[in-house]
Amino acid sequence: MKEISIDVPVEPPAELKPLFIPIPPEYVEDAYKKDEYLVLVGPQHPGSGHMRIIVRVDGDVIVDAIPDPGYVHRSMEKLAENRLYIQNIPLFERPAIMDNANFNLGYIRAIEEALDIEVPERAKYLRMIMAELCRIGTHLYDAAILAVFIGHTTGFMYPFAIRELICECLVKMTGVRFTSSFIIPGGIRRDADNSVLDFVKKATFEIERRLKNFEKIFIKNPATIARLKDVGVLSKEEAIKYGVVGPFLRASGVEYDVRKVEGYEAYDELDWEIVVADEGDGYSRFLVRVNEINQSLNIIRQAIGRIPEGDVISQDLFENVNANTKNPKDIRGAFYDLFANLKLPLGETTTLTEAARGLLLYTIISDGESNVPYRVRIVSPGWLYLRGFMESLRGERLADLQAIYGSFGYFPPEADR
Amino acid sequence: MKVEKVEIDPISRIIGHINAISVGVKQAIKPERITVEYPRERRKLPDNFRGLILFEKDRCISCFRCAFICPANAIQMELYDNYYPSIDYSKCILCHFCVDSCPTTALKQTKIHDVAFRDLDEMVVHTDEMINPPKLVREDKITVEYKIDRELILERRKEVENLIVDVEPVERIGYHSACVNPQNCIGCALCARVCPANAISVKTEDEKRVLSIDVDKCTGCGLCVRECPTKTLSLVEVV
Amino acid sequence: MEMLEVLVEMFEMFKSNMVNIPLIQPVIDALMNIPIVNYIVALVLWKPFFAIAILPGLGGIMIVLLLMVYWERKLTARIQWRVGPLEVFRPLRGLIQPLADGFRYFFQEVIVHVDSHRPYFVQLPILTFIPVLLPILFIPAGEIVAIRSSYAIQIIVALIALIPITIIAIGWASNSRFAYIGSVREAMMYFAYEVPFVIAVLAMILMYGSGDPYVIVEKQSVPGVIMNPIAFLVFFIATLMATSRLPFEIPEADQEIAFGPFVEYSGILFGIVMTLAYEKLYIMCLLMSILFFGGWNGISIPLLGDLSPAIWLFVKAVVVMLIVALARSIYPRFRLDQALKLGWTSMLLISLVSLALAIVIRLSGWLG
Repeated sequence: MKEISIDVPVEPPAELKPLFIPIPPEYVEDAYKKDEYLVLVGPQHPGSGHMRIIVRVDGDVIVDAIPDPGYVHRSMEKLAENRLYIQNIPLFERPAIMDNANFNLGYIRAIEEALDIEVPERAKYLRMIMAELCRIGTHLYDAAILAVFIGHTTGFMYPFAIRELICECLVKMTGVRFTSSFIIPGGIRRDADNSVLDFVKKATFEIERRLKNFEKIFIKNPATIARLKDVGVLSKEEAIKYGVVGPFLRASGVEYDVRKVEGYEAYDELDWEIVVADEGDGYSRFLVRVNEINQSLNIIRQAIGRIPEGDVISQDLFENVNANTKNPKDIRGAFYDLFANLKLPLGETTTLTEAARGLLLYTIISDGESNVPYRVRIVSPGWLYLRGFMESLRGERLADLQAIYGSFGYFPPEADR
Repeated sequence: MKVEKVEIDPISRIIGHINAISVGVKQAIKPERITVEYPRERRKLPDNFRGLILFEKDRCISCFRCAFICPANAIQMELYDNYYPSIDYSKCILCHFCVDSCPTTALKQTKIHDVAFRDLDEMVVHTDEMINPPKLVREDKITVEYKIDRELILERRKEVENLIVDVEPVERIGYHSACVNPQNCIGCALCARVCPANAISVKTEDEKRVLSIDVDKCTGCGLCVRECPTKTLSLVEVV
Repeated sequence: MEMLEVLVEMFEMFKSNMVNIPLIQPVIDALMNIPIVNYIVALVLWKPFFAIAILPGLGGIMIVLLLMVYWERKLTARIQWRVGPLEVFRPLRGLIQPLADGFRYFFQEVIVHVDSHRPYFVQLPILTFIPVLLPILFIPAGEIVAIRSSYAIQIIVALIALIPITIIAIGWASNSRFAYIGSVREAMMYFAYEVPFVIAVLAMILMYGSGDPYVIVEKQSVPGVIMNPIAFLVFFIATLMATSRLPFEIPEADQEIAFGPFVEYSGILFGIVMTLAYEKLYIMCLLMSILFFGGWNGISIPLLGDLSPAIWLFVKAVVVMLIVALARSIYPRFRLDQALKLGWTSMLLISLVSLALAIVIRLSGWLG
């Protein structure tokens, strides 16, 4: 049917005037002249995180999507300039609280690289176990959010119940369920004894068993497959062009994982594989993360099998410091003496870490004299793949917005920092 | 490793439907619940759980370490006979950096985590309120523990868990303050003013001030070392 | 004097058509001797009034609403590894939770926003009750019926087809961005399920030979679901589509368009619009049990007399509703174009197959 365009001067609806929308008014008028509809999937919406997406819809098809992030911006980089190096640890694990070990690890590795501290082997293995537990927890959280965005409440409850086991493991190891602030320069705060590691190993088997039920009711459900398949496709060139990172890049066919590129901690001593998919649609992004859970369980079991005995706090720290205790297995009593007067040498240090959702970058710039950092820069994975997320929305239907949002696992507090 | 391809022919779809419905029906008949019916039941927590912080007054040496290290500035030192810490729970993030910094284990953790304050003024917990545990109203009669054998079992025992943990004090290496660079001393006597144990005495001898440290009184807190502007003092191990 | 004559005539009409329950007959006989009370008793036990007000009418709807909300929450919780509502009345483990919820709606403030068409906004939820409750006049439960007609099934289907129009009007009256999208989706879903639904019902009517519920129930020595299971499948899926239950909860998608046409309602109006879907489900389940499960056939309890077939029909409808609640926790939501495709390709084909099956059964003369 031929469409006839009518050139009548059109006023956008009056309700859009008082709302502060960060798009120019010419855009709004242009959308209304072309008979398209602006839907504001706003920060108070059961189907968005704390961000607003301005969607330009032609009938039911999305023509353009403009993100409006920044509702959860807490200016962490500026806050870090006024706190000691050691006091920034609880600050920098707050962007993504389920993924706290990875965020912690990136910051601590930057300090260790600047100060040239050697981490003992047992501490490396324990840090790796914590990082993998947090990675599994984040992938389960993202799967649950995907399920609730397409209406499957059972698929929301099952991963959170499984995540309860992960929180129980972390409680036994560190003392809190998340935001543990447990990784310090030179190792970890306390040692974990064999009964705890035994519980963690048994928990991995229980997680695998319960994941089978989840698989049958959600992952292999034909309605889920119909909803996610061939939706929000990013080809390999597009994914690289828009700067997508993490498992979402691996779902478009690129084999890149920072844990293999820079074998930090003890990742290069264990036997595991990178998970890659070819299609680049929502379902393969989801399947990549589910398979990564299995790989992480494998890593944890291998690590528990091979963990050596030894100290957990590096002896390099105890030199030239009058510490109250010199117990290399427990930091209690010596925390202030070892860390409160840390001064990094003049210069800039950068580390890359593989957080659960992608590549995490930390840069610490120090002026050589003060015990607070001059500048800390953190670029979280959510901010890096936001552009790819918005580009993948073009041409899809309005109902797919939530499905693609869930398949990307966008987490606004992490992206806004 | 490549992700496996998903089939979408009608037969696998029907099998998928049947699988999903069978899981739903099986869970409806025999659920694998992990619910703990709080507050009638309570979950068992490990001993290193980071809960509320209690204080032992006779162990404290007023070294101010806890107040300096707190990331949220939640500890203020209040003056009684000496300076003792008080915690503002509206700021505290329960990171237990202070517990780990205390050289004499004067601050210790408990397993109490569900507290309620009636207004914002009550959230500043003064030192004398931190010595004894807060008034606990225990509604729970059963303790639940997560145990994993072949599968997750919730073991319910009819006991009331003790929330106060016995913490052994750390083995402390004794230090005392010593004057390692006496030529730098300018006689400002800041160290004498700041010492919580009154171990530094000031004497005036022919228009020069002489300061001496009483090693028996010195607790090795390190405040004088921090305060000295000319790096005269340092901590030395007790022989 | 004329009014008194009219009243006496009405009294005679009531007394001649009363429901017969041997269990409480002595009480009724005793009450019939008291002058004004006998009028009220005769009115209450008059068959059409009994059908509308008590069973399977408004009284049945109240019981079903309370039970269905509670059962749905408890069953969903059980599948999801949790417990569900527990605290409202502890000895009964939370049984009166839906009552507490409904009670709460009376105390909430009803906000009518400035942009809405105010008279339509406030009155449409109540007007929606007309096409939802009218089919109760035609559904018989044994001997208890309001209007006995030999075209009852066709009339019920026609009345059910009117309900989506009122829901679209509710969304339009709200004058809000998301309500508009919800109304459009409701209109599209209406197109998806209506044709296969009507063809499935036509197949059953063709098989039984008439649209009179009494004839249909009499001919069901073997339940209809065994004779024509394909029509049952189409009817079941069309029920899920018609009442916005998962997996077809598309007009009221909670996460995508913030509850669709009903987004601006609060307070007691919200309570009313929430019950609309459940009442439509009840009507369609009553229709399903008459067509497929043998209606009010069952072991007759002599003590209850006329009430026993009514209770059988009610119990069958409630059991079907409880099973429909299972689909909520197993499936996610389909997209609109996928549901439309399903309705116009797979379901249409299957319903035509069921029509052919019905013709074959009728021609073989097996049902007489």
